[in-house]
Parts: sequence; structure tokens; C-alpha cells
Amino acid sequence: MKKYLALFLVSILLLAACSSGSKTEEASGDSKDTNEITVWAWDPNFNIKALEMAKEAYKAEDSELNVKIVENAQADIIQKLNTSLSSGTTKGLPNIVLIEDYRAQSFLQAYPDMFYELTDSFKAEEFADYKIAPTSLDGKNYGLPFDTGVTGLYFRTDYLEEAGYKVEDLKDMDWNKYIEIGKKVKETTGKHMLTLDPKDLGLIRTMIQSAGSWYLKEDGVTPNLAGNEALKEAFETYKAILDADLVKPVSDWSQFVAGFNSGDVATVPSGNWITASIKAEESQSGKWTVAAQPRLSNNPDSVNASNLGGSSWYVLNVPGKEKAAEFLGKTFGSNVDFYQELNTEIGAIGTYKPAAEGEAYKAADEFFGGQKVITDFAAMTEKIPQVNYGLHTYAIEDILAVEMQNYLKGKDIDKVLEDAQAQAEAQIK
Amino acid sequence: MKRILPNSLKYNGLFMKMFLFTVLIIITVSAVTTWAAIRMSEQFFIERFSITNSKVMNQIKENLESFNYSIVLASNNLLQNGTIKRTLTAEESDFDRMGSLFHLGQQMNRIKSNLDAYEVGIIVTGMNGVSYATDRAYWPITDDELKKSPITKNTLLYPKRLLFQYDYRQDITGETGDERFIVASRALSVPISGFIYGSMYFSIQEKDFKKFYSNYTSNGNDVFILNREGVIVSSSQSKRIGQNADDLLSYTDELEKTPNRTINGDFMGKEHIIMMDYLPSYDMYFFNVIDKQTALGDLIDKREIIRISAIIVLIALCVVFFASRRLTNSLSSLSRQISSASQYNFHQYVDVKGTEETKQIGQAFNSMLDELHEYVEQLMQSQKEKRNAELAALQQQINPHFLYNTLASIRFMVQQGGKEEADETIRALISLLQNTLGTVSETITVQEEIENLKNYVFINQKRYGSRIRVNYFISPDCIGCSIPKLILQPFIENAFFHGFNHKTDGYINVLVWKEGDSLICEVEDNGDGMEVSDDTKLPATKRKKHLFSGIGVRNVHERIQLIYGESYGVQITSQPGEGTKVRVTMPAR
Repeated sequence: MKKYLALFLVSILLLAACSSGSKTEEASGDSKDTNEITVWAWDPNFNIKALEMAKEAYKAEDSELNVKIVENAQADIIQKLNTSLSSGTTKGLPNIVLIEDYRAQSFLQAYPDMFYELTDSFKAEEFADYKIAPTSLDGKNYGLPFDTGVTGLYFRTDYLEEAGYKVEDLKDMDWNKYIEIGKKVKETTGKHMLTLDPKDLGLIRTMIQSAGSWYLKEDGVTPNLAGNEALKEAFETYKAILDADLVKPVSDWSQFVAGFNSGDVATVPSGNWITASIKAEESQSGKWTVAAQPRLSNNPDSVNASNLGGSSWYVLNVPGKEKAAEFLGKTFGSNVDFYQELNTEIGAIGTYKPAAEGEAYKAADEFFGGQKVITDFAAMTEKIPQVNYGLHTYAIEDILAVEMQNYLKGKDIDKVLEDAQAQAEAQIK
Repeated sequence: MKRILPNSLKYNGLFMKMFLFTVLIIITVSAVTTWAAIRMSEQFFIERFSITNSKVMNQIKENLESFNYSIVLASNNLLQNGTIKRTLTAEESDFDRMGSLFHLGQQMNRIKSNLDAYEVGIIVTGMNGVSYATDRAYWPITDDELKKSPITKNTLLYPKRLLFQYDYRQDITGETGDERFIVASRALSVPISGFIYGSMYFSIQEKDFKKFYSNYTSNGNDVFILNREGVIVSSSQSKRIGQNADDLLSYTDELEKTPNRTINGDFMGKEHIIMMDYLPSYDMYFFNVIDKQTALGDLIDKREIIRISAIIVLIALCVVFFASRRLTNSLSSLSRQISSASQYNFHQYVDVKGTEETKQIGQAFNSMLDELHEYVEQLMQSQKEKRNAELAALQQQINPHFLYNTLASIRFMVQQGGKEEADETIRALISLLQNTLGTVSETITVQEEIENLKNYVFINQKRYGSRIRVNYFISPDCIGCSIPKLILQPFIENAFFHGFNHKTDGYINVLVWKEGDSLICEVEDNGDGMEVSDDTKLPATKRKKHLFSGIGVRNVHERIQLIYGESYGVQITSQPGEGTKVRVTMPAR
């Protein structure tokens, strides 16, 4: 009798024990763990890879911190930032976000409270000067400069020599010389000099920045188009290049890349980030060289260095910001070895000056005929004139692109710039 | 324990049967109920699923249709756009083309704004080699690849139709993973003449296309979109995209015929609810496939249900166990008591306890025992009395032959002149009659009995002569003991008349002594002897005229047992030719 009872009790206990197991799996709450920071960036080949390397490098500092890297298209990041920040909520926003320098000011000025000050997280003087203005506001640093958009003129040496020029001829030349060489190249090889996308005025931008000028005045809000000598000369140069029939028209990035990879064009005036795309065509190894960007012929301020693109890291004012700032400061902000690795792995050139002393920066590149490309770029970087990109770079460029078409069709240049100025003032103010 | 178990099993038989039976019923009932409940709820959920999912499918279909409509509108805009036609057909200088491309770009952006709600890229290509893409990221195909692509071939094959096709691009950099695309394409042609001057492509990544339905899918509830060839173009199961799903395609005919386009079928080796719809604008099949096990497994926690019913069964069993135990306990103890009562003694009454029914049974049993006792006692009493009366009657009967013969002998003696002899014989007869007549139960001392025997022997010797001698060996301590009347006389009589039929003379010894508490009387002769049968009964005397009274040797044994109990009685040993020995055992009192 007692035996039976014991059996029953034991079996009940067993059942209870079995069933209690199923409830232990509680869903982990979505409470913001301070040991996790989120980063948003675009371009998996470049920015995302750089972040992953930073994450690895930071493990030596703080193995507890979990860095969550989220890839988003640049347009999506801008849209999400604008939506969230303008509504005042920070929910769903990352701790760190990558912002293009041209757009940085528009965010910093529109939402000054939403960004976390990084003045103490890194030494601003250790970075390229031209990167500091777009990334700071009222003398405070908000962005930690990342890659440089230092421009160079990538040139096919075989075409150059066929046309009777030497690499030395390219040194510190102006755009007139460029057109002259171009004509010769076209004549002897039948190749176009460069590709251009009519929607994209990147070339104009590099030209005016080489002269220390921009679409906007120093205050960053007043359009600076009419009477802007650098801009005027840039327009004229652009037209001269087209008139000389040096241009192969393209309509998008893939056609742009196909242009030089297929050997259809002799030069690529662009940011250093195009190096990877150029090197992608291995059969052209040894046939390229990198020269400094031509300067404006008639502008005394113009130097043989400019910038195209480039972006920086920003920390948003959300929980976990201290950890995020520390993460940036210990990696992109001060780690020389990390920059060497970045350069070796993905060819990125940072704007961190001490990094230029590293081995990787001094390496000769066989693809460019043994040229120390990185060293050259680093040297050019330091010469880039500092400008305030202001708030409305792309808005003005849309206006200018239309006016450029008018100019090309024969409209007077002063009238073109005045009309653009008027439209810009109407739109921006 | 081993020894106890069979016994307890024996008396708990009723309990065990009842309990096992109840257990069986409870388990059966709960198992059937559980099974039915699970079945019913499954049925219910499947029905719900079918209803809601057909609504969901309509919703998804609407999403897909509106996407298609946006693309149709955009493609019409592209077709009707003069700038685009001019740019794609004109042969012009690079300088002019720069301008044309700029305007083309503006037109394309305007048209693309119709599709801003979707992550769509547009590519147009012209016969003159010009191509324009709004954003290559949506479909990273180079112009060369596009020219050779089967998508372009199909487009030119059916220039009037908007074709939806599947494309797969291996990611060259190996960073973002392989990408799948759905491309809607249409030829750019002049309306009336049908002259084809280019083609247009609307590309959407499969992962964006998935958004049209991904909100409605869940684990076990999958969507597959198949083209006519059975290739999975888009699916919530990313791994299967691009593969052939012939098993699903084989269901299409069957599904077309069923009214709500829902069937149960096997898919990927599991049982699924399969719903299908045909998307005419895409020329694709749209499947909603629900894995019964996964979908219902989430909704119905079978383990939980079974656990609960198991607990209920266990509790019920405990209750039944104790309750039936209580009920049958009194009954089984009652049966145990009753069975031993009937085996061993009627004096053991049963305990009256337990339920009302068992109490009544107990009481009835006890009163039955009472009555039984009473009855048995009465019966024994009456039997005794009856026997006593019989024996008394026999004792009283002095055989008239005996008297007649004795008196005849005395008359003979008187005639012979043996006055003295006659006197002695008459005296012996008187003494014998005196002692014999009286109550049956009356006892006399051994001495008196011996006196009677002597008188009897004297009479017999007077009648038949003294060739048989009788010797008396009486232990002195026995003289005062009481014995029933005429207890030894029948044996002497027997010896006289049957022991010496062949032998002419001999002796009879009468011995009386004590052995412990018992009084032993032996009548021993050296006469003819006889064969003693097992029952130790003496042969019936036929010649009654010899007998002194109605009491024969046969009755002596009965008498003794009647008076003193079964441990006493008569024992006869005899050998033919050697004599007979009769031993009477009685208590010495």
C-alpha cells in the first residue's frame, strides 16, 4: 500500500519536474545593453570592412563590448537620421553613424543637441586640417575624421608616352596643360581623355576646392556662385575639356568604371578611393601612374591638391555614447597600427597624420610602376585647402547641373552663374 | 512479503479488480478526450488558417498587383517619352551626348519617382548603344552582360509584353553574398510600326520583393513564387530561391480544380496545407504553404495538454485508490474473518465496522452464528436424551428368556432336592435384579458391578455347569470407582455363549486397574477367538434368549462414549483359537 503511494508521489514529482523545463527560455529583453553599440555605415567593401577591422582591433582594449555593424545605403541612413532626429526621438538610432563630409554640417547645425561632442576623445590637430571644418561646430569637434577624399590624376603611362610625354610633364600642371596633353593623346591613340557623367559635377567641386572656394561662403549658408572666380574658371575649364572632345559620356558608376577598366580613357581625375577599382583590372598593372590634380590655370590660389568625397564618424547623443566615443578614439582616433592594416587590407588612406609614418604608407606599389602612391597621397592631403562645405552642397549642385547644360548650349557664363545664384537664394533662404 | 502478498492479493481481489478496472476506464476516457480535443482544435486551426490565409493571399496579391501597376505606368511613361526615344536612337557627338544624357537622366528621375515607394532600379538601353541606369545597385549587371542576357532575348521575343523574369548575379567581391533579382522588362517600340529601338528593365532585389509578403509569413507558413518553369523566383525560404520546385508545380492542376484552391499535400517530405493563386500579370504561380506540424505545433502545445491530462488522471487515480480502498477494506476484512470462521470455529464473531452495508452483513453473520450455536446445542441435547431413553429402555428389559431359563433351572434344583443350591441361585437372581433395575445413568461402584458379575456367573454356572471358570483380579484402589451399570456383564455373557463353542472348558479373567486417570477393565477369555473386523464391532447376538438384558456388547461402546466422551470406549483384540480380549477404558472417578 505504502509502496503504491510512494510510486504515485514520485511519478507526480517527475511529471512536474519535466514540465517546468519548458518555461526557462525567456525571451531576452530588448533593453539597451550598455555593452552593445550599433554602427551604421554604407559600402560593404570599404566602410563596413574598416569597421569590422576596428572591431577586431578594439577587442584588445575591451573584449566585453559588442559592436553591432549595420549596413545601410547612404540615402537610407540620411533619411532615417532626418526622420528620427527631426521628430526628437532617438529610439532605433545607432550609437555611431558615418556621414559624408559634404552633408555633415547640415546635420550638425540642424540637430546640434543630438550629437555627442568628441573634442576630448581625439586630438584634432593630428588630423588633416581640411577635415576639421566640416566635422566641427562652434569650435567643438563632433566628427572623428575617417577617410580622405584626396584627389589625384590617374594616368595611363603607355598612352602618355605614345603621345610623346613623360611622367615628369604631369608634375604640378594646370588644366590648360591637361587639355593640351589630352588633344595629343586623342590624336595619337584615339582614346578619350576621361569619362564624365553630366549629372555629377564632382570635377567642378575638386576644381574650386583646389582654389579654396566653395558653392557657399564661409558662413556655410550664403550661396557663393555669382562672381565666384574659381567657379567661373571651373565652368570654363569643364566646357573647354568638352569642346576639345576629350570626354566619353557615361551615365552611371558602372559605365565610369568600365571606361578606365576597358582602356577607353587615358586619365581618371578622382578621389584616391578609386584606386581599388583601377587595380581591379590586373592586366593594366604597371601602366598607371598617379599625378597631382591639375590646378586652375588663372587662379593664383589654386593648388595641385583637392578633395572629393570622404566621410567621418559621428556619435549620437544616445545611451552608450561614452563607450562609442571611446571605441572611436581608441581605433580611428589614435591607433597607428590599425591605419597600416586599413591601408594594406582595403587601400584606405586615413586623415590621421601620424599614420603616414607607418610602413604601409611608404610601400611602393608595383601596379603604379613602383610609385609610392600612398606617400604621395598623404603629402597631397596636407595641401588640401580647407573650405566650409556648409549646409547645401547637393541642393546647389542640382541647380548648377541644369545651368551647366545651359552654359554648354551657349548661355553666357556670368548670366549662368547669376541665374544659379538667384535660384539658390530662392531655394535655400 | 512474499508470503503476505498472495494472501493480501487473495483478500484484496475485489479491490484490485475494481481499481484496475477504474484505472483502465479513467485512462481510456482521458486518452480519448485528449486525442479528440487535440484533433478538434487542429481541425479548427486548419480551418481558421485556410480562411485567414486566403485573405492574406488576397492582400499579398493586391500588393503585387499594385507594384505591377506602378511598373506598368512607369513603362508607359518611358514608352511615350520623346527625350528617351531621341537619346536612345540618335547618333550624335560626345558633346551633344553629354547634354542628351543629362536630360535623359532628368526624365528617368521623374519617371522613377512613380516607383519611389519601391526599391526599384530602372535601366534603359538603346539601339545606338546608349544605356542609362537610375541606380546600378538594384541590379549590378554590366551593359555587356545585359546585352547577352536571356532576359533581353525574351524581351525582344515578346516586345509588347511586360515580362517578369528571375535573374541571379554572383557577387564578384564576395562581400554582400549572392543576389537574386526579379526583373520586369519590356521592349521600347514605336506604337504603330512596332519598330524596336531599345528595351527597359525594372529590377528589384528579391529581398525587397519579399517585403510584399514577408509580413504575412512565419515559421512554417511560407510563400513561394514560381515561374512557369517551376523555378522559385521569390520565397520566404531564402535557401530555396532559384531552385526548381517541381513538386509544387505538380500541384497546380489539382489546385486549379479545387474550389478555394486549397489542398493538403506533401512538400519537402512533410504534410502541408498548400494554397495557390495564379498571378496573371506576372505569369507566375503564387503558393502559400503551411507546414502543419510547425504551424500547429506552435498553437497547440500537445505536451502541455498531455501533461495536464496526465496530472488529472493521476489525481483521479489517487482519489479512486483511496476511496475504493476504504470501501473494499471493510469488505475484505469481513471476508477474511468469515472464511476462517467457517474453517475452524463457529465461536469467532466478526468485527462489525466499515460501511453500513458491511456492518449489516457482519451483524447478520453474527446472529446467524448465534442461531447456529443454539440449534446445534438443542440438537445435541435431544440426541443425547433420545439415546439415553433408548439405552434406559434396553436396560430395563430383563430378558424374559433369561428369567424363564433361570427359574426353570431353580425349579429343577428344587426337584433334585438341592435346596441349598436353589436358595443360593434365587438369592443371586434377586441380587442381580435388584442391582440391575433402576435408572440408566445411575452408576455403581466397581465392587457392586463385580458382585453383579459374580451373581450372573453363579446363575450361569448353575445352569450350564462350571466348566468355564471365572477369575476376578481387581486392583484394590479401583474398588470405589464408579462405573455405569451392566458395563462388563455383556462381555462376560458374550464370552460364555460364543467364546466356548468349540473348546469345552476354559477361563474368563476379569481385570480392573487404574492407568493414570483412566480406569481399565479387561474381560479376557481363552476361548475360540475370532476374526476381528476393522470396525472392532462385536458380532450381533442372534440368540436373544441367552441375553440377560436389552443391552448388548454393541451398545457398551456407545454408552461409554455418550457418558464420558470420545476418548473413551471399548477395544477388542482377538485371535482365532487363542481367545478374545475386551478392554474397556473409562475415566477413574
